[in-house]
Amino acid sequence: MSTRLKDQWTTLLVAALAGTFGVALLHITGLLGAAIAADDVTGGSATVALMLGVVAMVFIVIAIYVSAVVTANTVSTVVAGRTRLIALLRLIGSSARTQRAQIAREGLLVGVAGAAIGVVLGTGVAFALDEIAVANELMPATDYGYLNVWVVLPAVAVVVTTWLASWVGSRRVLRVRPIQAIGNSNEQDREELGRSRGRNASAIVLSVLGLAMLVAGVVWGPTNPVWMIVAVLGGVVSFTGIVLAAHVVMPPALRLVGRLFGGSPSARLAAENAVRHPERSSRMTIGLVIGVTLVTTFAVAMESYRAMLVAAQQVRPEVYAGIDEMLNATVAVFTVLIGFSALIAAIGMVNTLSLSVMQRTRELGLLRALGFDRRQLRRMIVVESAALTLAATAMGIVLGFGYGWAGAQALLGGAQGQIAFVLPGIPWALFGGLLVAAGVLTLVASIAPARRAMRVSPVVALAVE
Amino acid sequence: MPRHSRFRSFEIMQIQPSDLGLIARVATLGKHYGEGAGAVTALDDVSLGLRRGEFTAIMGPSGSGKSTLMHIMAGLDTPSSGRVWLGDTDITELSDSALTVLRRRRVGFIFQSFNLVPTLDVRGNVMLPFELDGRRPSREEQAWIDELLETLGLGARLGHRPHELSGGQQQRVAIARALATRPDLVFADEPTGNLDSRTGREVLGLLAAASARYGQSIAMVTHDPIAASHADRILFLADGRIVRDSARSTPEDISTFMLAMEVAA
Ligand SMILES: Nc1ncnc2c1ncn2[C@@H]1O[C@H](COP(=O)(O)OP(=O)(O)O)[C@@H](O)[C@H]1O
Ligand SMILES: [Mg+2]
Repeated sequence: MSTRLKDQWTTLLVAALAGTFGVALLHITGLLGAAIAADDVTGGSATVALMLGVVAMVFIVIAIYVSAVVTANTVSTVVAGRTRLIALLRLIGSSARTQRAQIAREGLLVGVAGAAIGVVLGTGVAFALDEIAVANELMPATDYGYLNVWVVLPAVAVVVTTWLASWVGSRRVLRVRPIQAIGNSNEQDREELGRSRGRNASAIVLSVLGLAMLVAGVVWGPTNPVWMIVAVLGGVVSFTGIVLAAHVVMPPALRLVGRLFGGSPSARLAAENAVRHPERSSRMTIGLVIGVTLVTTFAVAMESYRAMLVAAQQVRPEVYAGIDEMLNATVAVFTVLIGFSALIAAIGMVNTLSLSVMQRTRELGLLRALGFDRRQLRRMIVVESAALTLAATAMGIVLGFGYGWAGAQALLGGAQGQIAFVLPGIPWALFGGLLVAAGVLTLVASIAPARRAMRVSPVVALAVE
Repeated sequence: MPRHSRFRSFEIMQIQPSDLGLIARVATLGKHYGEGAGAVTALDDVSLGLRRGEFTAIMGPSGSGKSTLMHIMAGLDTPSSGRVWLGDTDITELSDSALTVLRRRRVGFIFQSFNLVPTLDVRGNVMLPFELDGRRPSREEQAWIDELLETLGLGARLGHRPHELSGGQQQRVAIARALATRPDLVFADEPTGNLDSRTGREVLGLLAAASARYGQSIAMVTHDPIAASHADRILFLADGRIVRDSARSTPEDISTFMLAMEVAA
């Protein structure tokens, strides 16, 4: 089966964005490094440059990770919508493996294209930012050479992850049985019933193990910084467990959120749609959960740090003078850097919702034939989009709050000499911003599908395939 | 309409369809697709009336215009020319929202497949027309629905989702939903097309019974002579025209006529 180019736009966009982000960030790090090296005071401070490089790498890895998750889910969604076609091809003798290899090959091509775009755009963005900064005398002019070999790293990473993500996302091709080509009616409903035990088991193991490491890091982190690394690893491991278990974790959250929208037929159907296929809805939301969790984790950790500094400032104002501006700038930079991953995740959600509505044309036609009017149909799509976005945002905030506090406690618990409980700082501004963003995302995600849904003619429900 | 105006409408030659015992009527209906050399005439000057309480089968070879006729009569599609009535309502130029409400309250549908909303269980699917109307069934209606579900053997399946039901059971749920609001007219497009012959016969028996016992008007599109033999009346379409209008017939008669039609073509 060859996926149509149309379906690959999002994957290309996501790959190009991740590539651009990575390349631009590396160039900017290089530019800052060159500026620092040229500076008389800090001159030759290799540690600062190295630190910058490490921080840049962390954010690049996060962005590429999120884009890989988005790509895998996009491919999965496309394949789910093609079940019938795949089954037909299988029926006439095409092997599942051939079809899957074809999808992965396309992923490789799209990855290469995305990486190439990323190198060009990323270099352009870094160059433009440098010019602006130099023109405004924010930075000294440097002789930084843009032929930085390191930019190969994010480019290659984008190619490899897009390829791998397509491979992983196309896993479900193997589950399509030829008989589905001639089966009738509601076969889509059975699409996701097969569930792997191995996946559930590893999800549980990872979550429990990660949580244990996290707790250990929080308890002993304040005494010895080595435990901080354990805490970070614990965070990564437990979060991977949660991502794997998304099809179990997300539906209850979705159901809860769905209740908020009342009991009208459109709201009820929307809520049901959101939970009908646990895998589908977790596919749609998990990228966003990851993005929001990351943003919140950083914000909560930074806010806790700030709260601690403010307390210290009251005791010894002279030492901590000017710390506020520094903190604000750091928070702003980190939010932008991590927010980029959240943006990629949001693009993924917009696309999967749109695809899933397109795949339900028949069902929408049926509802129209039975007496849903256009407005009810649109309301249904908007509510579905809102339920998905809100549930993902809420889940991300809860998780991020936990991780952020754990990080702050592990890192800062011993900062005052003796072990102390670090009060979690609550980044109200960020929460407000997230809610607004969720609202905007809900609308953006539902515009195209709602318009398409309203155009569906009731006659399509009667059409015999 | 009020009684006394009946005579007046006779006087000015505006006979309402219901005065003739008709539940639906089309007059000089035309439906054309495309333009120029590629133009297709799906319906060509079709005039007919469906009688209240009757089970009418619409037959004809593939491409003869059966589905097009049904879509237009059900307010799902608009004609290129001619007029369409459901009961006494001229639906030819109704707005989309008026047609939507009409479908909700006065029309029932049974399709060949994909009849049910996959997210809803059996009860939810049957109740959907009421929900869309923003109301609960009255006590009388509820009793009717319960009777329907019982008669159709769905009593034990109310909590099941469509994918947990067999094809025949899904069609029964569709029948229950179509009959639940006691609509003016139930449209069925090849309702047995996806069923094995035994299940198909059961479904046809249920439709015929709904018509005979409860006076439900039904229009069924089919190309299966056995299916058509359950109907009170059979209309034959060929190339977008009505070519025969016969009373209840045996499958053999119907087959013979269909064969003759194909030979003539
Ligand atoms: N949307 C359409 N566009 C063009 N031609 C159509 C369309 N729908 C139906 N037709 C044509 O109209 C004719 C009648 O179609 P239809 O009513 O579906 O026939 P039947 O249901 O009897 O098989 C056919 O020739 C068909 O090709
Ligand atoms: Mg047809």
